[in-house]
Amino acid sequence: MMNPELRRNLWLSFSTHRLIAMPALLGLVFLATAFMDQGEKAAANLYVAAVSMFVFIVWLWGARNANAAIIDEFRDKTWDQQRMSALDPWTMTWGKLFGATSFNWYGGAMCLAVIAASGFAAGKPDVLANLITLCAAGVMLHAALIALNLHIGQFESRLIQRGGMGWLAIILVFMFMPAFTYGTDKPIHWWGMEIGRALFWMDTALLFAASATFAAWRVVSNALQVRTLPWAWPAFACLLSLYLAGFIHDESRPPSLWLAGLFVAVAMTYAALFTESNNLLRWRKLRLLQERGDLRGWLEYLPMWPTTLALSFLFAFMTLLTAPDLHTGYDRMGMLQPQHAITLALMLLRDACVLLFFALAPNSKRTLGAAMLYLLVLNMLLPFLAGVTGLDALRYFFLPFEATADPWNSVLVMTVHTAIAIGLVNWRLRNTGPA
Amino acid sequence: MIEISSLTFDYPGHRALDGVTLTVPTGSVTALVGPNGAGKTTLMRCIAGLETPLEGRIAVAGMDVIEQPREVHRIMGYLSDFFGLYQELSVARCLEYAAAAQGLPEADIPAAIERTAQRLDLDDRLRQPAGSLSRGLRQRVAIGQAIIHQPRVLLLDEPASGLDPEARSGLAALFRQLQADGMTLLVSSHILAELDEYSTHMLALRDGRILENRELKPAHLTETQRTLHLDLAHADARLPQWLQGYAQVALQRADAAHAEFDFEGDLPAQAALLKALVHEGFAVSSLGEYRENLQQSYLRSVAAHLEKQQ
Repeated sequence: MMNPELRRNLWLSFSTHRLIAMPALLGLVFLATAFMDQGEKAAANLYVAAVSMFVFIVWLWGARNANAAIIDEFRDKTWDQQRMSALDPWTMTWGKLFGATSFNWYGGAMCLAVIAASGFAAGKPDVLANLITLCAAGVMLHAALIALNLHIGQFESRLIQRGGMGWLAIILVFMFMPAFTYGTDKPIHWWGMEIGRALFWMDTALLFAASATFAAWRVVSNALQVRTLPWAWPAFACLLSLYLAGFIHDESRPPSLWLAGLFVAVAMTYAALFTESNNLLRWRKLRLLQERGDLRGWLEYLPMWPTTLALSFLFAFMTLLTAPDLHTGYDRMGMLQPQHAITLALMLLRDACVLLFFALAPNSKRTLGAAMLYLLVLNMLLPFLAGVTGLDALRYFFLPFEATADPWNSVLVMTVHTAIAIGLVNWRLRNTGPA
Repeated sequence: MIEISSLTFDYPGHRALDGVTLTVPTGSVTALVGPNGAGKTTLMRCIAGLETPLEGRIAVAGMDVIEQPREVHRIMGYLSDFFGLYQELSVARCLEYAAAAQGLPEADIPAAIERTAQRLDLDDRLRQPAGSLSRGLRQRVAIGQAIIHQPRVLLLDEPASGLDPEARSGLAALFRQLQADGMTLLVSSHILAELDEYSTHMLALRDGRILENRELKPAHLTETQRTLHLDLAHADARLPQWLQGYAQVALQRADAAHAEFDFEGDLPAQAALLKALVHEGFAVSSLGEYRENLQQSYLRSVAAHLEKQQ
């Protein structure tokens, strides 16, 4: 039996007119390209045209349709019907992923055929790897948008009204375009290995396509009330750290994995913190589950950000412990001291507490806006004002990252910040009524 | 069929359901009534597994809704107050998608579409896009989507809002038919007169708490008993005494012109009573079953609640 979600999307995406129009239009574009230069460059031109058409049809237009796959369900109030269906999360996920973009893949398949034929005719290197990269990057874009829209849309309906996370596709497209920039065929150095450019991009695209599809499945599972344990988010943080650390890996420098891991975990904690529901009801439910000793239930309801927050502390301590020379190792690199890793993790905890302070208010409205505003004031405006008025000690108190000062002082100052922030959250919890 | 215990649900700054415990019997049509903000929609969404409560347990046909939501959905249909349809799909395809998404075998889907379309009088609309239909017809398609897999439990949140009187009447007939097929229905509406036509039970909510949850038939009556109401065209002082002497009658209230009593017996027995009354010389102008309507029942519950509060 065909996946019902895929079938519904095929009904909506295809019509006789569209079935004919796509090959006709693509045929005209490729014909025009071929006629532009009938000499030896014809195949190369066709190759470039076909890649461009694929990027437009599958990456960009497909991203728009993947974005609409979730936005339209919320907007047209059909999402409840979907959640009430008996479809399992994986069926729903791949039905949406390939159904909503089926018309784009229909056009994309024609482009792929032209890319393959013209690429081999023009003697292009790595045609097969490029074909796989193109397809994997398309899947990654579509899956990422489904996951993000569903993740954010479940608690922030205003985002749905504003059209979702479609703009993200543009950023991801620009990230993957270097894979098809020719003239720079230098191999890529990763974890000390030399890997061919096309092969590296193909592996990267496949890795992130798999990760994004997995993320979409996890978010769909949660939306369908199928509860999951929160291991995937920190696991992805570790995977991303491992991937990124490969680029900065240098035997002569401090361990790159922990540093990369710290920055990835911090970035992912902030991302989750501002895109998840953190209201009082969620934390009250968690407290109830904790009182009952229901560890599994507690983990299932836990937001994602505490998992990468914990990971940030782990990476910070590993950075500190594995630094070759606490006093000189980082100085030589022109970087801050390794102790600042702990300061950064503490700062993350402080900022999470600031957000919770606003989110746990009984009638919290515009929590994100208020938290962001105060964090900007705390992290940027106040240090800047203290700096321009010559109050260096005050500036250090607000933002204790100073390469020349004793780095343990920065840990101490940020511990004070964090203690105050935790105190505020406790005060909020004590002064909030039962409902 | 539905068992709920200690259900509590909070919205920020507001407790929508406060320790709700109730049972909805199999095969019943329960009218879920209460003022705006009473918690009716929240209760339905919790039963449907669309919201996770703070505390409490909900079981449908013995399955825990919080633990096994997908399994529960296979035997449940839900029509939301603010439902949506896939506007560009034809009615037939809307129904086909709903049937397939609810796990009906491929071979059974055409028959299910035909059966549902007939039930909802949508036979001649199957090829029309859902977006081109009137509000009433769209409502029928949405109900069709909710019942196409012949669920054992059907939750309907304000199913008749926006429908014309004719469509409402059709809806009432449909719900009676679904009940006769063994389905358990939980229906919320502000229009109590409409619920009165088909409800067997009333569940009244107020401020997230249950005011009353009972069968609409008076509790003291058995399956074969009914409350009858008798009116005479001409007053006759013998009436109370005569009725007291009739074996199948348990008198509630009576005067020379009117009487209200519990009657043990079926319709032929009721006909025999009428015959006896006429034969005795009473000028009977009407004899029929008396049933407190939902409006009266609900208002009585509210009055009792307010009195208790004072």
